[in-house]
Amino acid sequence: MNSLYTYLFLAALLFSLGIFGVFQRRSLIGMLIAIELMLNGASINFMAFNRFLAPDPIVGQIYTLFIMGIAAAEAAIALSIIVAVFRRLRSINIERAQELRG
Amino acid sequence: MTSSWFQDPTLLAAMLGALLPFVSFAVIMVFTRPYPKLSATISVAAVSVSLICALSLLSRHWHLEQPIQYTAKWLVSGKLYLPFGFMLDQLSLLMLTIVAVISFLVQVYSLGYMAGDPGFARYYAFQSLFAWAMMTMTIAPNMLQFYVFWELVGLASYLLIGFYFEKFSASEAGKKAFVMTRFGDIAFFLGLLLVLLHFGNLNIVDLNSVDVTARMSPALITLSAILIFGGVAGKSAQFPLLTWLPDAMEGPTPVSALLHSATMVAAGVYMFARIFPFFSKSATAMTLFLAIGTITMLLASTMALVTRDIKQVWAYSTISQLGFMVMGLAAGSYFAGIFHLTTHAGFKALLFLCSGVFIHEYETNDFFEIGKYGGRGLKVPIVCMTLAAAALSGLPPLSGFFSKEAIMGGLAGLHNPIWLWAGLLGAFLTAYYSFRLIFAILFPKKIEEVHHEEHGGHGHGHGEDHHHAGIYWVMAWPLIILATVTLVLGFFHTPLENFLVGHHGGAEGHGGGHHAWLLYVAVGLALSGVGLAWLEFGRKGASQVGFVERIEPVKTLFAERWYIDHFYRLFLDYVIYGIFSNLFTRNDRRVIDGGIDGICRATVGGGRVLSFLQSGMLQYNLMVMFAVLALVALYFFF
Repeated sequence: MNSLYTYLFLAALLFSLGIFGVFQRRSLIGMLIAIELMLNGASINFMAFNRFLAPDPIVGQIYTLFIMGIAAAEAAIALSIIVAVFRRLRSINIERAQELRG
Repeated sequence: MTSSWFQDPTLLAAMLGALLPFVSFAVIMVFTRPYPKLSATISVAAVSVSLICALSLLSRHWHLEQPIQYTAKWLVSGKLYLPFGFMLDQLSLLMLTIVAVISFLVQVYSLGYMAGDPGFARYYAFQSLFAWAMMTMTIAPNMLQFYVFWELVGLASYLLIGFYFEKFSASEAGKKAFVMTRFGDIAFFLGLLLVLLHFGNLNIVDLNSVDVTARMSPALITLSAILIFGGVAGKSAQFPLLTWLPDAMEGPTPVSALLHSATMVAAGVYMFARIFPFFSKSATAMTLFLAIGTITMLLASTMALVTRDIKQVWAYSTISQLGFMVMGLAAGSYFAGIFHLTTHAGFKALLFLCSGVFIHEYETNDFFEIGKYGGRGLKVPIVCMTLAAAALSGLPPLSGFFSKEAIMGGLAGLHNPIWLWAGLLGAFLTAYYSFRLIFAILFPKKIEEVHHEEHGGHGHGHGEDHHHAGIYWVMAWPLIILATVTLVLGFFHTPLENFLVGHHGGAEGHGGGHHAWLLYVAVGLALSGVGLAWLEFGRKGASQVGFVERIEPVKTLFAERWYIDHFYRLFLDYVIYGIFSNLFTRNDRRVIDGGIDGICRATVGGGRVLSFLQSGMLQYNLMVMFAVLALVALYFFF
């Protein structure tokens, strides 16, 4: 149970859920949450490899810390974009943001 | 060549003479157009220098043995080598002098004639262009350079004929002259290409050598000679292409003088003489040219019988005299043709310049009107014009007499007497129509008494009024000079012949000698032409109706120029506009326009189709991105 594959499986699951969410959700907030899921899946991968395969230099953990920082910044930017979109379209439904359609 | 061009006086003179008019053209067009006086001064100064250069060249090389050539490389393409430069031989020296003299006199005369014209500076610029083109053409060493300047002469004459371009008829006449001569030039150019392809060289000296017969078959020579003659026919207004010249009268009268004597139309005959040995290698072609010359000469003379326009009469006479020159050359008498070209340049310029004075004074082209208003009061022009008309008719001892006799002598040397009789008939008609005009002015039915209000004092004899005196004399001096030339040129017959023919190895056919009876017949016919004109127009109580004008259909036929223009009109309407223009218009609309439209539509449609890919949905784009990344990953892993 406490093996590398468990964590890798969990990470893959999270990542796939994230991808699915990004493609499927029509709400911008939902897509943002799904992206966070994907990032977390990647983080778990890093942690698992760090723990089971290369424990000595803690590169994997540093990566994870970076990802968390980036995720925070990304959330801030994404939310501000969402607010801007909402102000313009009075909606955060992605289907309304199709002005570039050919 | 470059090192010592300023040390060699011959080359210096040739370059100066040929280039200065161009410099003056450029300077006037670029800098001094707003200043008419200055422009005219520049132009006249340039042409004076050219005149001095030409005269000095002529006197320097009076005993020329070999043609002098100065050439520089211009174009090399494979085996083809085309130089650019000058060639001075007897013919080009003579022609250069003629062109320079006439251009100079015409420009001086124009100082008076064109005074106050709004286009004064432009006029002088074009005159300079004309002089430059003609002189450089004259001394061209090869046919390509010749052709280039030949076309420039055409351009300059187009500009000058259409000088009053605000007038519809003038711009039409310019266009007609340009298009019609271009017609002949196409043939000329094709002929040149043919020679170039088969002979490989366009140098005039080589063309005139015996080499040609060795390298080209007789049929080919005939064909190319006939094609090249197309250019002569266009420029010199020979038979099928003769109708542009009468219309070219729309230009200012000095332009007509220039055009008719030394430049435009003379260029054709000059070209004939230039490569005369080449032409004379084909007997068939020469016979054809003889026929064309004869037809032209007779047609134009008959047209001149009925017109009432003073300039038209001289225009038709130019055509018929050009026909004479072509006849003379085609009959093999090289010298006779050139001699007639020379004398004709003198007296025809004189005729036009005189007419210009009348037209300037009375503002009408109808010579019966001019006579009515007292045209004979203008002493200098009427005396000069009578003199020139006598020369035109071939009356001794004027210049025209000698040259016409020379041509008749050449024609008499031919086997078929029909050419000679045609020539004699032409001489008779020439004398008749020239003196018809002269007598109509000299002895009008009645002189209008009431003409004082506009032209104070013209009605009765004392020619110039004091107001115009200065201008009048500027215009009169060239007349007097030309009249002197007309008087004395005939006596230079023998020296000129020695000068010209020394090189060309004895003018063939001229050796027929002067037939004494021919002299008397020709002069007799000319005199009887004058006599007939006197009977009908000159004597007291004459009806002033010519014998041709009594027969209505003939008169109409002549007045309508044998319906040649109508034929061209029909041809233009039906064949050019009806078939070719139509086809080309359709091609333009359907094929070209349609093609472009099709491409546009295809582009738009393609864009429409492709734009379906741009759904604007963020998630589809993401999906594609993901799919691509996944595929790339797969590709790199396996």
